[in-house]
Amino acid sequence: MSAVTAEVREAVVKKRRGHPSSHGEARFGFAMIGLSVLFVAVFTAIPIVASLGLSFFSWDVISTPEYVGLENYRRLFTDGPVLKSFGVTLGMALAIVVLQLTIGLGLAVLVNQRKLVWVRTLFRTAFYLPLLASTAAVSIFMGYLFDYKFGVVNYYLGLLGIPNVPWLTSGFGAAATIVLIAVWQQIGFTFVLFVASLMSVPTDVLEAAQIDGAGGLRTLFRIKIPLISPTILFAAVVALINAMQLFDQPYIMTKGGPGSATTTVTISMYQKGFQNLQFGYGSAIAIVLLAAILVITGLQFLAARKLVFYQ
Amino acid sequence: MTGIHPPGGSLARRTLLKAGAGGLGLAALADLAACSKDGGGSSKSLKMLYFGEQAQATQLQNRLQPQIAKLDATIKFEISAINGTDWNDFLAKVLTQIAAGTPPDIISVATEGLQLMASKELAIPLDDYVTKDLDALKEYFADIHPALVESMMYQGHLWELPDSFNAGNMFYSTELFQRAGVVPPSESWTLDDFETAATKIAKFKGINAFGWVVRLWGSWTSFMYANNANLLEEGKYDGGDWLWNKAYAGDAAAAGRKGGWKWGAPTANSDATVEALNYMIELTKKGLSPSPDVGGGGTLQGLFASNRIGMSIGGGFWAGGLTNAGMKNGSFDVTMFPKWKSQRHLFGAGGYAIFKSSKKKDLAWEVLKLLVKPETFDLVFPGNVTTPGRKSLVTAARYAKTGPKHWSVFYDTLTKHPDTAPIPAPPYYNALATALNQRTTQAISSGNAKAALDGLQSDLEKAAGAS
Repeated sequence: MSAVTAEVREAVVKKRRGHPSSHGEARFGFAMIGLSVLFVAVFTAIPIVASLGLSFFSWDVISTPEYVGLENYRRLFTDGPVLKSFGVTLGMALAIVVLQLTIGLGLAVLVNQRKLVWVRTLFRTAFYLPLLASTAAVSIFMGYLFDYKFGVVNYYLGLLGIPNVPWLTSGFGAAATIVLIAVWQQIGFTFVLFVASLMSVPTDVLEAAQIDGAGGLRTLFRIKIPLISPTILFAAVVALINAMQLFDQPYIMTKGGPGSATTTVTISMYQKGFQNLQFGYGSAIAIVLLAAILVITGLQFLAARKLVFYQ
Repeated sequence: MTGIHPPGGSLARRTLLKAGAGGLGLAALADLAACSKDGGGSSKSLKMLYFGEQAQATQLQNRLQPQIAKLDATIKFEISAINGTDWNDFLAKVLTQIAAGTPPDIISVATEGLQLMASKELAIPLDDYVTKDLDALKEYFADIHPALVESMMYQGHLWELPDSFNAGNMFYSTELFQRAGVVPPSESWTLDDFETAATKIAKFKGINAFGWVVRLWGSWTSFMYANNANLLEEGKYDGGDWLWNKAYAGDAAAAGRKGGWKWGAPTANSDATVEALNYMIELTKKGLSPSPDVGGGGTLQGLFASNRIGMSIGGGFWAGGLTNAGMKNGSFDVTMFPKWKSQRHLFGAGGYAIFKSSKKKDLAWEVLKLLVKPETFDLVFPGNVTTPGRKSLVTAARYAKTGPKHWSVFYDTLTKHPDTAPIPAPPYYNALATALNQRTTQAISSGNAKAALDGLQSDLEKAAGAS
């Protein structure tokens, strides 16, 4: 025993002095962290800084960039269509987040009540599958499905005697359809989060509530939801950030129309930058969108101080 | 802590940073812009950009390589394809590629992008080259309608050698016409005839009499042209005599041709333009036409090929397109666009330009001449996927397999309707196309053409001012 103790002591001392193997471990660790830092720097931090810089220039890709100071920002705040795209984005994002959270939570609660593991697995897989599909492919497919005249959806509604619905050809219809498709595709993420979170609610707490006579709804609203509120906050933040960057579905299905009913900020940014060759202005829109997301997320965290329950 | 324990702050921040990814593309372009000035391919390659699929581009490259080797055995000819839903999409991608520091030596550009490219001095005028080789090119110009050449001029200079075009004619399903008891339309049919035929075809359940796509070429804009209206004031640049007097001396079709189309102040909310768009809204209200899609027209072609649409605006490219989509020769035909106030058609032309940054301009010019030779046309465009710019190539033999029966309409549009003009594609074409698409869908969904076109007028005035 004493020999072993001495060996352990020697190892600890060596480690404190900096054993060669621990140096190797440290180098490996730094290399791994370095890769992440490099990745974030190259693909996130530097582009943001470069975008910020570009937003002070007028640049059409072809000519030399011309410094214009805050002109792109001044223009943005007086540009009706672009400001409208912020409103459209906010409206659609709020609808997506609310639906995604409520439906996701509702489904998670229902599935969580199933005791059979295979049933849970089946539902988890089923709801998660749309998330794995390419958004572009889904959007093209949905565009055909919801086509006013030739779409399958209107065809079946027609069999029920319901007249054709302008899913994508009326302002409200297009926005609502895009919201529903985005929710359908993203709901798997929140659903899986909520299922896992609900499964880890301590059973002793639930049993205590049951003994005290709490019913299913009371247990849900007074025990489960408060206990998983950090997860709800996380899901809400991620969902909102994603929804504020909505691009693929409206761009592919409606090109931002009809009119500008589904022109989101990212579509405005793409149009100004890549189609109209106003890259400085496009960058300014990107920066303002980033700022808007930061502010909204900050507000979410502020609200969370009162609403989120940390154990 | 219960449930999943998301490290709230840090993860959220990381995700937040991703929000800036929208700026990534823009920023990356900024970094790469500095490289764009060098231009051209490497010293051993000649690069060409092509609108289409890479598989087709590679095939074309392999077919042309032996002929290019005769010009310079050390040069490797490389064709890069750029895929896009329409020319607007293609142009946006081309410009991104230029910004990324990889401009080509030769580019195929349609009417849509000509003035943008010329005004930004991305390409070079071909005047000197054409003048130098005029004797050799006389055969080419004699075979190309001057309207196509004029559409490739800007500010008095020639920027491209056109090799193809598509005018907005009217395709119709012979099967649906027969079922509806409608006599095939003559070339001189009118808008009333069109509506009468549409009404008869619309009686069939699940069939739309007339289908169209929201875009600049062959959209409601064809009705606008037939109503003697336009989105922009029409004019012509002075100049061009250097070409007309030599290459087209004595050609009546060249009379009055000048130095290219000059697109002036917006006229998008003029009475005649509003009337044209209102006509489309009325067609939709009467159930003669569905709400249109925005974009390239692939879906429309598919619906037409499956006999779910009776009539649609198409050019020579529809002959190959419909055949490729499975339509049998004889199941569709083409005629002139119906007469309204006039029977003026619109068209777009395609051709090749030399990039200003190219270091091999002389060789590029030789390749341009090769690309417009009669024997090259079918290498570049196999299967009637566009209308040949050379009249000698528009023959019965060409359309014997694909149809349509009245294939002669394609070129006759230029010769029988001399007022036919290119689509209005000013240097700010991209902004125009974006605004046109948005305002058209607004008009169709709201039913208010005037309000939408007032908006378009304002959009175009801003775009013209900014260009």
